[in-house]
Amino acid sequence: MGGLFGILGISSGALQADQGAAAITGNNIANVNTPGYSREQINLSENAPIQVGNFLLGDGVSLDQTTSIRDNLLQQRINQENQSAGQLSAFLGPLNQVQSIFNETSSSGLQTPLTAFFNSLSQLSATPNSSALREGVITAGQNLASAFQQDASTLQSLQSNADLSVQQSVSQINTLATQIAALNTQVSSLIAAGKDGGAFEDQRSQLVNQLSGLVDVSQTDAGNGNITLTTSNGAALVVGAQSFALSTRINPATAYQDVYSQGADITSSITSGTLGGQIQVRDKEIPAILNKLNTLAYGVATAVNTQSKAGFDANGVAGVNFFSAPAAVNGAAASFSVAITDPNLVAASSDGSVGSNGNVQALANLQNQNIVAGQTPGNYYGGLIYQIGSDISQANSEQTSVGLVQQQLTDQQGAISGVSLNEEATNLIRYQSAFQASASVISAVDAMLSSLLAIT
Amino acid sequence: MTIRINPYVVPDLLAAIALDQQQQNTAIQQISTGKSVNSLSDNPAAATDVVFNHIQASQNSQYLLNITDLTPQLQTGEAAVNSAVTALTQAISLGIEGANGTLSAANQQQVATQVIGIRDQILSLANQTYQGNYVFAGTATSTLPFVLNSALPGGVQYNGNSGVDSLDIAQGSTIAINVPGSQIFTNSAGNVIGSLNGLITALQTNTGISAAVTTVQQAFSHLNSQSVFYGNALTQLNSTQNYLSNSNLQLASQENSLIGVDLATAATNLSQSTLAVNAVLAATNQILSTLNLLSYLK
Repeated sequence: MGGLFGILGISSGALQADQGAAAITGNNIANVNTPGYSREQINLSENAPIQVGNFLLGDGVSLDQTTSIRDNLLQQRINQENQSAGQLSAFLGPLNQVQSIFNETSSSGLQTPLTAFFNSLSQLSATPNSSALREGVITAGQNLASAFQQDASTLQSLQSNADLSVQQSVSQINTLATQIAALNTQVSSLIAAGKDGGAFEDQRSQLVNQLSGLVDVSQTDAGNGNITLTTSNGAALVVGAQSFALSTRINPATAYQDVYSQGADITSSITSGTLGGQIQVRDKEIPAILNKLNTLAYGVATAVNTQSKAGFDANGVAGVNFFSAPAAVNGAAASFSVAITDPNLVAASSDGSVGSNGNVQALANLQNQNIVAGQTPGNYYGGLIYQIGSDISQANSEQTSVGLVQQQLTDQQGAISGVSLNEEATNLIRYQSAFQASASVISAVDAMLSSLLAIT
Repeated sequence: MTIRINPYVVPDLLAAIALDQQQQNTAIQQISTGKSVNSLSDNPAAATDVVFNHIQASQNSQYLLNITDLTPQLQTGEAAVNSAVTALTQAISLGIEGANGTLSAANQQQVATQVIGIRDQILSLANQTYQGNYVFAGTATSTLPFVLNSALPGGVQYNGNSGVDSLDIAQGSTIAINVPGSQIFTNSAGNVIGSLNGLITALQTNTGISAAVTTVQQAFSHLNSQSVFYGNALTQLNSTQNYLSNSNLQLASQENSLIGVDLATAATNLSQSTLAVNAVLAATNQILSTLNLLSYLK
């Protein structure tokens, strides 16, 4: 459209475009602190020119669909790091509690009661018919039993807590998968209509980010704005508009909840995310520590009982079990207890005479013999301490490095998708100036039209 | 086109503050506990070595207690044997006096009475107790070991046993802690009480006194040889006590080098981390209070 009215049309379109651009800028500024928000880019395009006589004249500007600026590959890398961070965090929480009950740097572990028990036997060997020292042996044995029981109880509690957490994580995963599937529908319908997924993609991305912290999610682009989410072993979580719930079922062998996907047990294949960390703590780390604790308890109780029965008590009668005989390695720490209450039943004598210390000497010497899985009790316990410390130390190092990578990736993402107030301010000035200029053009055209009307 | 930088600086600032505060907390903890290793994961190898160190130190302390308990018991035994040796010397002198044939019958009986006193003294020494336990009863420590019984060949009955207790006084070091009374006082190589009974009878009957004195002298030699046991044992206890005390000093020193903190380093770390925390807080305040371009729009 040529002529003065054509100019009015162009300027009017420009006012709309600038107003729209300012609105988008305003939206960016409004979401400057919104988690997961990707800045929207304004797309202005020149209108197709019109033919006026022999001339092609420009026909102004249009505001096209906005584009949310995001890097999906970068987002996937962040999600992967989230999986590691979630796994390490879920692993370290309970393990730090384990560390505190075995903290030998402040003498709060098993070493003190274990050594005290053998020392009480050694002390009795110097005066084998002392009633007070015999009582001391029983007390030291009870202290050791109490320490074993408490440690086993704490480990079992942590294991049960991890089991509860597994169920909670599965529930959270299902909720997130349902929400993501719903957003898949919304994004794909917008894409199908030729629009930007914008806010819905941001929300979906945030939810996938949360989901990846919970489980080892693998994300693929299914086209049309849909994403497909599976666990690393291929169990589907979200396919298009459909989500596939994980479920939990009690494993009769362990009495803990296994994780199922569409009827298949996928527990052992979940290695990442919070759920992976919780399963690792529940099914591997704590059982390994508990097994070593049980082995130690079983070895000590069995060797002490065997030696006790080789001697004679204060009445010259053949010795009996000092500790309640554990039925098997499994559960030996939790059931560790002193079987006798009468100090006279401590089998100190090797020949039945009251002053003989041969058997109590042999009992005391057990601490230096390989009675626990081919090692001395102290060496075996030292191995357990090293394992706990080493596992936590390694996880701490990994957590630090994962944190640094996360920070770096988040920085990169912020550089791409983050809202810069300075940038938005310059945009605002640009669109405000353009708006004012277009308004001036309208004003000028108005003056021109007034001049023309004045002629008539 | 300029490179776009991350406009969200707050997470990075918070991470920097957290890191510096963590270092500050670590330094404070190290100074307050005096340890550079405060949890197993700080240094798993050092924490494990501390376990072994504590076990060894604890065992050493127990061995030292045992030595402290054992020493007076052995000293009691040694004193009893030494007193018996002295008494036996007197008995030999009296026997020689009675054997030279110059004493009157009355004096001879008087000497015999003196020897009876010596025998009873030695009998009492042989029945010596320590904390209610008979020292020379073998392992039958609640049984009176020696009683006179004229019906028996030596005139004495040993009711103890031949049991010998041993005690670990250091890892891999065991010591016998008693000698059965039968080996000391009624041994066939030199029966102390039996020989005295023989001398008493000889003096009372004035027959075979010289032979009886010779038997007492043999018993004397035997008793003397037995006293060596106590001397050796006490010497061993003393040297082991020194060894264990030194060992514990070394273990304490080793523990300090394993998990002890170098206070100068920790104090420097605290100072540096405090400076870093203050710097990052100041920087955060500066950055967050910096106006952006929007502030200039009117």
